[in-house]
Amino acid sequence: MPDSEISAGDIVETVPSALIILDQNLIIKSANRAFYQTFRTSPQETEGSLIYNLGNRQWDIPALRNLLESVIPHRASVEGFEVEHDFPTIGRRTMLVNARKILRGGDHDGYILLAIEDVSEERAARAESKRYWQLTQSIVDTIRDPLVVLENDMTIVTASKAFLTIFGITQAETKGRRVSELLQHQWDVPALRHLMEKVLPENKPIESFEIEDVFPGLGRRVFNLNARKISQPGNHAHRMLLVFEDVTDRKQRERDAITLTNEISHRIKNNLQIIVGLIAYESRWTAAPCVQGYQAMQTRIGAIAQLYDLISQSSRGRTVAVDAYLKEIAKTMSASLLGNASGIKIEVKAEPLEIDPERAVPFGLLVNELATNAIKHAFPGGTGNVVLSVEQSGDEIELCVSDNGVGIQGKDPDSKKAPEKRGCDYVAIFVRQLGGTIVPSVVEEAGTTVRVRLPLLLIPSGAEPLAA
Amino acid sequence: MAVILVVEDDALIRMVAEMMIQDWGHETLSAGDEAEALAILRSPQRIDAMFTDIYLKSSVLGGCDLAHQAIALRPQLRVLYTMGNFLTDKMKALFVVGAQCLGKPYSQQQLQDSVVEMLAT
Repeated sequence: MPDSEISAGDIVETVPSALIILDQNLIIKSANRAFYQTFRTSPQETEGSLIYNLGNRQWDIPALRNLLESVIPHRASVEGFEVEHDFPTIGRRTMLVNARKILRGGDHDGYILLAIEDVSEERAARAESKRYWQLTQSIVDTIRDPLVVLENDMTIVTASKAFLTIFGITQAETKGRRVSELLQHQWDVPALRHLMEKVLPENKPIESFEIEDVFPGLGRRVFNLNARKISQPGNHAHRMLLVFEDVTDRKQRERDAITLTNEISHRIKNNLQIIVGLIAYESRWTAAPCVQGYQAMQTRIGAIAQLYDLISQSSRGRTVAVDAYLKEIAKTMSASLLGNASGIKIEVKAEPLEIDPERAVPFGLLVNELATNAIKHAFPGGTGNVVLSVEQSGDEIELCVSDNGVGIQGKDPDSKKAPEKRGCDYVAIFVRQLGGTIVPSVVEEAGTTVRVRLPLLLIPSGAEPLAA
Repeated sequence: MAVILVVEDDALIRMVAEMMIQDWGHETLSAGDEAEALAILRSPQRIDAMFTDIYLKSSVLGGCDLAHQAIALRPQLRVLYTMGNFLTDKMKALFVVGAQCLGKPYSQQQLQDSVVEMLAT
């Protein structure tokens, strides 16, 4: 090779692509280091030999022959010629060949520079990606819930067969469009759009976003939308899977159940109202000393009805959460007995325990009775705090109702009784019903505390499946 | 003393409620459903307040609709609701301005307190 090309040869050595220079007879004049490394050969084996004879004729490839013998002679350069071949030394490879004729002054034949780039991995990744999306499409098509796969820009890449069938549209009508543009824009909801925009950048899935609307051919439907980011290893492109779960029937069953519960509640409360009304009616002709008893009876019937409401609000399946239940009792008592402007506050301190709904009513009545006593007797000045607390202690639980009022020494004659004795012994009745014991009260300087130990009517949270 | 329209589809409950209200010296008018109530509301009869059940046989939230129609007919009318179901915030949002709800079963005392409070507004 002429001296003037030595510096070019140095450059060639540093190029990462495999390079070879052939003469007009396709004899290899030289190759670079990358070539020897890629094809595991040496200059001795390479230089001076016909390219086809190289390494047990592994370069005798019809496609390469076609390039060198038919294409090159008529063109100055060829770019991106792809050759896939099973090379004995390095296995099956896909090579991208760029060829350029190097002509020197006066020489019409010149040399051919071949740059060979091994693109096997890239091609394999591309094939893998294609297979991946084919697999995705086949999964997408087998899922019964309608779903779509969205591109980064929120346009639809593909929609499942179920999606097309249920919504009566074609793949062509969905491709490249946004979900919000489909049908009669039923999915065009700002809150949904806002959530969808976070799925890919923040990897924040959408769980059960509910949309209720009238869909063409389907009527009124309720769908829960779920979305998550999907990505494949080694590929930076992310897509979103958006699944439409038809919950119309489930929703209807829930609504029916609520309607039924409301109807039952309405009837029960009306019946209790009749009882309360009859007691009220009776009390009109009753001697004065008994009127108070009749009134107290009306209040207790009201308390039971309220407890049923609170149980249904605090209920988690088969059990009632004690902390939520006590808070509801405190809230109701504050509203009904104290009013907003009262100086008496009811505080709840409860461990996360669950209670059997069967026992929730006597338990609630017990709390109600003790707290009412505190409110009625402890605060002649009209200000103070009542604390309702429940904690587990071994295989028992302790209910504690305490106040910071006048205490046992107070002047109210009823309050001179032991605190658990007040309220017509109702406390004792409820405690007995629950199989518990009253911890004897200690005379305190200020305030009153009633402690009741109850057996395992409470179950530690999470001890058994709570779902109904 | 006030004239109070009592709307309640259960006759026994209505009777007892009216009796309680009359005991405190008020006059009562009686309706078993929305139509009867509206007929009275459209009449020239003096009415100061309406005590209505929300859950009426004709409609689950019939009392809420009735109250809005009643206020449209008589803007000065005061309203007290009653209901056996748990009162949700969604329901409260349907109330006419300033109205309260007395949960069932209500005692004589609770009804009296609510009526006094309503008439004081």
